[in-house]
Amino acid sequence: MSDIKKEKKIVTFKWNDQEIQAEEGSNLLKAALDHGIEVAHYCYHPGLSVSGVCRMCMVEQIGDKAPPRPYPSCNATVSEGIHVRNDTPKVTSAVQSTLEFHLVNHPLDCTICDQAGECKLQEYYMEHGAYDSSMVDKKVHKEKVQDIGRNVMLDAERCILCSRCVRFTAEITKTHELGILNRGDHAEITAIEPLKNDYAANVVDICPVGALTSKDFRFNQRVWFLEDLETTCLGCVTGCSVKISQNHNGAFRVRPREDQEVNGYWMCDEGREIYKHLSSLGRLQFPLKNNSGLFIPTESEQFLSTLPRPMAIILSTHLTVEEYEAIFHLIPEDQVYFYRLPEEGPEFDSLLKRSDKNANRLGLEKSYYKAYNNVLNWTTKDCSLAGAKEKLNSVKSCFIVVPEFLPHFIKAKNNFENFLHSLPKECLKIALAYDDLFQGINHCDYLLPVPTFAEKDGTFFNFKEQARTLKKGIVYSQQAQSVPDYLALITKTTNNSKGFSHAAQ
Amino acid sequence: MNSNLQPNFNYVLLSHHHIPNVQEIEVYEQAEGYSAFKKSLSLTPDFIKEEVKASGLRGRGGAGFPTGIKWGFFSKDREAKKYLLCNADESEPGTFKDRFLVEKNPHLLIEGMLISAWALGTQKGYIYIRGEFYHQAKILEKAITQAYQKGYLGKNILGKDFSFDLYVHRGAGAYICGEETGMISSLEGKKGQPKLKPPFPAIKGYRGYPTMVNNVESLAAVPWIISFGAARYRQWGTEKSPGTKLFSISGDVKKAGVIEVPLGTPLKNIIEDHCGGMREAPLKAVIPGGSSAPILTAEQAYKVKMDYEDVASYGSMLGSGAIIVLDQTRSIAEILKWTLEFYHHESCGQCTPCREGTGWMEKIAKRRPSVEKTSTPEEVMDLLNRVAQNMRGQTICALAAAAAMPTQGILKAFPEEMKAYFGNLKS
Amino acid sequence: MSTSLPFSFTEKNLKEYQEILSRYDDIESALLPVLHLAQEQHGYLPTVVVEYISSLMGIPKIKIQEVISFYDMFYDTPTAKKIVQVCTNITCSLYGGRKIHQELLSHYNTQNMVPTKDGEIFIQKMECLGACEIAPCIRVGNDYYGPIQDTQEALNKIKGESANP
Repeated sequence: MSDIKKEKKIVTFKWNDQEIQAEEGSNLLKAALDHGIEVAHYCYHPGLSVSGVCRMCMVEQIGDKAPPRPYPSCNATVSEGIHVRNDTPKVTSAVQSTLEFHLVNHPLDCTICDQAGECKLQEYYMEHGAYDSSMVDKKVHKEKVQDIGRNVMLDAERCILCSRCVRFTAEITKTHELGILNRGDHAEITAIEPLKNDYAANVVDICPVGALTSKDFRFNQRVWFLEDLETTCLGCVTGCSVKISQNHNGAFRVRPREDQEVNGYWMCDEGREIYKHLSSLGRLQFPLKNNSGLFIPTESEQFLSTLPRPMAIILSTHLTVEEYEAIFHLIPEDQVYFYRLPEEGPEFDSLLKRSDKNANRLGLEKSYYKAYNNVLNWTTKDCSLAGAKEKLNSVKSCFIVVPEFLPHFIKAKNNFENFLHSLPKECLKIALAYDDLFQGINHCDYLLPVPTFAEKDGTFFNFKEQARTLKKGIVYSQQAQSVPDYLALITKTTNNSKGFSHAAQ
Repeated sequence: MNSNLQPNFNYVLLSHHHIPNVQEIEVYEQAEGYSAFKKSLSLTPDFIKEEVKASGLRGRGGAGFPTGIKWGFFSKDREAKKYLLCNADESEPGTFKDRFLVEKNPHLLIEGMLISAWALGTQKGYIYIRGEFYHQAKILEKAITQAYQKGYLGKNILGKDFSFDLYVHRGAGAYICGEETGMISSLEGKKGQPKLKPPFPAIKGYRGYPTMVNNVESLAAVPWIISFGAARYRQWGTEKSPGTKLFSISGDVKKAGVIEVPLGTPLKNIIEDHCGGMREAPLKAVIPGGSSAPILTAEQAYKVKMDYEDVASYGSMLGSGAIIVLDQTRSIAEILKWTLEFYHHESCGQCTPCREGTGWMEKIAKRRPSVEKTSTPEEVMDLLNRVAQNMRGQTICALAAAAAMPTQGILKAFPEEMKAYFGNLKS
Repeated sequence: MSTSLPFSFTEKNLKEYQEILSRYDDIESALLPVLHLAQEQHGYLPTVVVEYISSLMGIPKIKIQEVISFYDMFYDTPTAKKIVQVCTNITCSLYGGRKIHQELLSHYNTQNMVPTKDGEIFIQKMECLGACEIAPCIRVGNDYYGPIQDTQEALNKIKGESANP
């Protein structure tokens, strides 16, 4: 294999009074932004091609070979020794007047627009504008409130025609749903057909204004009441870096975080759903017992200490490495089983999504081997397969960790219900679950609340065996305890580290 | 077209225009047509480029950039894929000279392109002609077919190691396709939106390949320059604006049409001698170079000489050489509104200052009293001037400036009339 | 309202299409001439035409739609047997072009770019047509006429006198 790599020459250039080192030939604007310099811009996005249409990122070059006029820094490259400024009178007045042009036909929707608080028009106006409007003429009107599919709402009037969304559907998903029709100030972002790609929600993120908004998030929360929790998506083994916007009222949306090793700037639409069970109405707040179909609150310590043996535990593939290690420390290998989610969709959709929905499978396999000195044999351990299930026929109580995000996986949720149904009737089934919304719940005798992925710290290993972290955010179920903590309660009451295996006295 | 103006046939570009059926290749050849091209094949490409450079020929589409120097930026690699594009989009208001040229003498353009292709090493060429010129496109296509039949186009032309294919490509109604990168985008089958520069078309143009874009008139001047030499071309015109130019004159003159005169000819001569003088009322103003050129007052018009430098010295531009003559009965405010309507309609919409500015300027110019309660005429004129100024230098292409300059020009040249107009708006 | 009967090129036009493709080094460059051809056949360029061309040339529908909406000579709504373009730029306006445009609209009892109910006439206000020496000028189909003395003369030209040589 050829080892020839293009030499990355690092050069030094100056932006205003700051010296910056960056790769020669790299994008000038990106180099500045990466070094924390504030440069007003709309159309530039590091994950998309350069379009240079907003005309905000102007710089003036200093020196002999400088072009006579300011030019957009997004269309320039880093070279040794160049000196550019965006704080000269020419540039600051250009930025202000260009901003004014952006606002000429922009509707005064701030009070009803979701983008308020994270809107680049607002931000730049406060920073660079703050002028008195001379616009008393009639504004151009375009079609508002268009449902263009995949949870995306388009308001063509708010659009500043930066073309990011058009470039996204052309270059990233290559599905070409969005375009700009017409000339001049009648130019309008249009979807002649509904969006049909699995990454559509990214256009909402990249839209600098409120032209593209999420139907899911619309009118739910003002962004200044939200904090972002940086974590990792558990939708599949890709493990994209994401952030969840939340406050004490709940979690409201998921957005991607830049992670050049895994997901670049994007995430798939499926992953957008991963916040919904955090603070849903069905979230389990305390242990419940199945009383002839009606689930009533109960006290966990008591029934946990009188569970019939033998016991088994069926783990999901979504726990953290730390949790697996703690569990395997408490339970012998022959009593540990797993429920593996079936594959859904193509193995790899050529962008981000993978068919293997068992997000921490690699982390699990690592921890298993570390604890038991054996390679995990899925054929004998995967309870979604008949072979493994048979071994449970003699078990008298079993703990079942309900897979997180189960409702999103069509195949899986039906399979899981069948699996619960197929367990022996005499076996006591204790589900460790997030909410009461999973199918097959009626087959369970007890429900114990566990923290979601956003309520604990921990580590995952993605398909490339890269470690990714979960961070503990706001807790929405105060009585939830982790799986290891519940298991520790059992071993405590029987005073036996292998208590899991002995019959109750 | 039935124009009552009879041009002079003694110069460079219209010298064959009086010959009946000169669009037929045999007639053209009989009048020494294609002899310049044959001569070129025995000259080196470098020699031809030097000759064109020495002639001082400047881009006749409007920008006036020296053609020889533009050619100098072009890649010399003859193996590389390169394109030669002829800009026949001719949409600058007031301009009809290229149409006049090709509908009568298409072979002159073809010959000019052949010599240029040989000099530049381009293998393929397109004549991008505006969509409305349907018949002219057909005339060019027929002439091209004749040229192929005679072996002037195609592979191994006249036995030389030189191949050139030429096609006509019709536009579909968009002024911005006259901007060279707008034309390239349109030729690529897209919206005619200009491209970011750098990269420049000479380096990376049509489909990413080196592309030379020249105006019809510029290319049509090349055969004569090769036949008779750069020095003789320079016998006309001025030091910095050598040679002859086609001017399209319309408006309040007795005779409208196309003439060819040496650059530097006084505008007064053009109006009075060639166009038979004013129709009825005396002169009020002249737009000297297409609607993008700032307006000249009558006083200026009677002094200005039609070359690039002298017109620029009056704060205007020679541009495409489209002269629109206005008499005392004309309202400058109406001219302003029609001009702004045009640019608003034609802005491609890509970049914000132009997209929003062209629309806003038209609205300001057309304000009604109900909106005007708080603004004085001076305030409106200041606003219009400020908006125009803010559009300049900020955009991907020059359309924004092309809209801004005539606006500012009118406000500067006719302030009293505009003040009266804005102060007296009727609903 | 036309139904969504699928569109396809006539055999003659398919041959023409092949010839058009041969002029260019890639398929996309052929789009404008192909759209002219399709419009000559169909009168205008609605969704069915866009779908046909999209599958024929492998160009995404949205890009074809963008092109149609960008250019003044491509129409995505029905036109008429005769398309009458009236120039309203500077010289033509000086010589009554706008008046002729308005009077034609009244005469035919229609609006700008709305075909007459009998499908005969479609009137379009245009920018400079590049024939200012015969201002005011109009185009009827592919033919230029001018100077148009008055609206009556415009009507005569529309009805079918011979074009300017």
